[in-house]
Amino acid sequence: MVTKTKNLNKINGRDPPKIGVYICWCGINIGGVVDVPKLCDYARTLPNVVLASEYKFMCSDIGQGMIMEDIKAGKINRVVVSACSPRMHEETFRRACEEGGLNKFLFEQANIREHCTWVTMHDVPGATRIAKDHIRMAVAKVGALKPLEVTTVKVEPSTLIVGAGIAGINAALDLANSGYKVYLVDKSPTVGGHMAHLDKTFPTMDCSSCITTPKMSEVARNPNIELMTYSEVISLDGYVGNFKVRIEKYPHYIDQNICTGCGHCTDICPVECANEFDLGMKPRKAIYLSFPQAVPGEYTIDMKHCIRCGICQETCPTAAVRYDDKPEYVDITVGTIILATGYDPYDATRMGQYGYGRIKNVINALQMERLLSSYGPTEGKVKRPSDLKEPESIVWVQCVGSREFTGKGRKYCSRVCCMYATKQARSYKEKHPNTQCFIFYIDLRAFGKGYEEFYNDTAKNYGIKFIRGRVAELLEAGNGNVIVRAEDTTLQRPVELEVDMVVLSVGLEPRSDIDDIARIFNVTASKTEDGFLMEAHPKLRPVDTLTAGIFVAGNVVGPKDIPDTVAQAKAAASSASTLMSRGEVEIIPYYSTVLSHKCAGCKSCISLCPFNAITFNEIEKVAEINDILCKGCGTCVADCPSKAIIQNHFDDIQILPMIATAIPKKPQAEEVEVE
Amino acid sequence: MSNDDLKFALFLGCVIPNRYPYIERATRAVFDKFKIQLVDMKGASCCPAPGVFRGFDIDTWLVIGARNITIAEELGLDIALMCNGCYGSLLEVNHTLKYDKEKRRMVNEHLAKIGREYKGTVEIRHVVDIMYNDIGPEKIRNKTKYGRKKPLNLKLAIHYGCHLTKPSEIRPWAKESENPTFFDELMEISGCKSLNYKDKFMCCGAGGGVRGAFKEISLDYTREKLENISTANADAIITSCPFCHLQFDLGQVEVNNIFKDKISAPFNIPVLYFTQLIGLAMGMTPEELGLIRSPDLKGVPPFTPVKPIITKIGETA
Repeated sequence: MVTKTKNLNKINGRDPPKIGVYICWCGINIGGVVDVPKLCDYARTLPNVVLASEYKFMCSDIGQGMIMEDIKAGKINRVVVSACSPRMHEETFRRACEEGGLNKFLFEQANIREHCTWVTMHDVPGATRIAKDHIRMAVAKVGALKPLEVTTVKVEPSTLIVGAGIAGINAALDLANSGYKVYLVDKSPTVGGHMAHLDKTFPTMDCSSCITTPKMSEVARNPNIELMTYSEVISLDGYVGNFKVRIEKYPHYIDQNICTGCGHCTDICPVECANEFDLGMKPRKAIYLSFPQAVPGEYTIDMKHCIRCGICQETCPTAAVRYDDKPEYVDITVGTIILATGYDPYDATRMGQYGYGRIKNVINALQMERLLSSYGPTEGKVKRPSDLKEPESIVWVQCVGSREFTGKGRKYCSRVCCMYATKQARSYKEKHPNTQCFIFYIDLRAFGKGYEEFYNDTAKNYGIKFIRGRVAELLEAGNGNVIVRAEDTTLQRPVELEVDMVVLSVGLEPRSDIDDIARIFNVTASKTEDGFLMEAHPKLRPVDTLTAGIFVAGNVVGPKDIPDTVAQAKAAASSASTLMSRGEVEIIPYYSTVLSHKCAGCKSCISLCPFNAITFNEIEKVAEINDILCKGCGTCVADCPSKAIIQNHFDDIQILPMIATAIPKKPQAEEVEVE
Repeated sequence: MSNDDLKFALFLGCVIPNRYPYIERATRAVFDKFKIQLVDMKGASCCPAPGVFRGFDIDTWLVIGARNITIAEELGLDIALMCNGCYGSLLEVNHTLKYDKEKRRMVNEHLAKIGREYKGTVEIRHVVDIMYNDIGPEKIRNKTKYGRKKPLNLKLAIHYGCHLTKPSEIRPWAKESENPTFFDELMEISGCKSLNYKDKFMCCGAGGGVRGAFKEISLDYTREKLENISTANADAIITSCPFCHLQFDLGQVEVNNIFKDKISAPFNIPVLYFTQLIGLAMGMTPEELGLIRSPDLKGVPPFTPVKPIITKIGETA
């Protein structure tokens, strides 16, 4: 345990540089490829290097101790550690410098693992040359570094949570119960998200809505939570601790404060349109409540379908109908943000061979959930769409849109489909023991707590047939039945079945508007190849993004089931409250500064800044940069025609020596161009 | 674009000149009506067949295919062809050579020996593609409107054939290979109805060298297709490929013999190449379209009699 000492500032940035170079073996990662003692000998020959040491693991307490002792002994006033990527250990070594009494920004890390020995491991002379280049460049830069001071900003004790599914609800309740103000925003008129659609949950066979609805009403009752349903975040400004958020509240066309939710209007509305809550399997009126337990329980008019006949206006006992309702804009300031925007089910029409949308009795699994649900379109009595017959045989087709490498679907496993198909089949079989249920799968993935037991029990005791083989195609037979063709890979023979209905176990996809979400919240850099948002570190920072103060939870980062989603939501709430309870946050001072005597006032940097950090001083006629808003991207520095902007830690006088030393000197005489 | 500008190099392939010259005759007659010029390709050889040649040696397949394409390049015309096999071969040879520099270098090394060079300047077009995308359903509808007193009223079993739609990435059907409708749309202009029969997109059985190597297996496929087609009660089978055409036409006679015990009744479903049907819809005579052999001309009539069709449209005409 090291005791925290305040920055002693013993070393002045103007002292002549005395550089210490520390080369790490990283076990055999580096030491197994290049000769580390020889690299030390090389480092000692470089200008201003006063000492060079090596150690098996520089990141260990002993390794850090070496640096601290040398600083304390006054031997060195700048540090180069030649080891792994700075993304791994920059903070570790900076802290060691600080403990030793050196400004932590007088440190530079040369990455000779990821950038050298890992990629050049079979070429020892080549790797040695590259390692020398990296060390030489780091030494060149560290000599020109300047001491910087960390800035701290206040953190507002409030959180914006985007998405009010089970992730958003849980995070909101945790934060609200710890005393923070929470703004819970959702695009749809009700909270609950996808979990409200589901019939039961695996492996406990709990009724999904029975465990969701109490949480939903708790959210509505909690005084610390401001519920903003039917709303959308349209812009975000500011920085960690002080995010300025603009929210558009869509017009409900019904005064939400007066509506009592009596439902007279719905009974009398003459317009019927598709019900998105039941995935189009049941009509709803143009004036509607998403589902009986919806929170909040006030009605909404769907103006895309409303014909403005005026009947609801005449009928409404509290005169709450407002045809001239307008969108409302709300500006709030929050300290932290949690993105819990969830997923979209895979659109199975893209897999032409399964005929979804073409063959009537091929439905997707979310539709099956609604059919099984007691408040679904058929009140829990499963009926097939073509003739409302109760199906006597059902096939579940697994991996629709998942584990798909042809470009029509997603490459990843969606993690929930094996279990929900097993659950749906079991649920159906419980009510209809004389029916036939088949599940066609590639691999059955039952990895969670109690999942394997659930699958085993279902297969053994419920007579559900699991057939190993991906379904090739589905065809429509004359009587509305569906012909399923597949290969049974266990028996190694093709199978053809004619069944009453087919359920496609569709995978989970990033939301169709994920790019807008990423853009608005400035997390565009944090997207993985699969289209989901990227966590700051897949293992150690699973709910952080690379933008400070913005956290993620649930399916917005990748497919996961309810327990994992809730765990992430609670983790995100805890991470957000850590920031808020401390009350202030440190910001790395990589911001840029305008040299006002050089600035010509051309304003070209202002339009380029992606963070709106630059303003124009009308009195002095020069640009000014807000050092907290500035993220240090360097765009303005590169653009400035008068070279009037300098960026901390990445100044020309720091970068150019690196380039100069990286390029071999003494070019051949004939290669020198004479101007 | 006016159709007057349309001019193509006509690639015949092997099956049409040797087995079904009437497919060429019908196509030329119909294209004439739309004022589309078809120029002969002197010295054109076998495409070569995708199943047989590509299956054994890809480089040979590429070189022979490229040689055929260079003939059209000399003419400065895109290739029009009437066979799915030729379409598959030449389209894929052309695509490979346009994007694979290594293969292109290899092919040109070989072609240099006979003084030729593949340049990649022409496109490969199936006549279905030309009719659907260049001429367009609207123009064909106008031509058929006044061609006959009454529209044709047949129930058609349309057979797309494998190479027409797959692989879909490089074909002009908006990446639709699972449930395409363009051929049905084109045929229904005639007033006929395209039937939805079981396994409509199944192979005819002939392709991939299967007919050459395992005739009985290939005909077993054909039997299954024919059974599905007769269950749907089709008046005629429509093809876009002479090899599929052969497999349904001559194949019916063969199936009736080989699978005598397996089938309930001998098949007798007339098989038409699609330009013949369009020709009929435009009011051309069966003789002009090669459906009936005119006494003064050489050539082979269909193996499966088309008389039922001619009588039927005779009644409705």
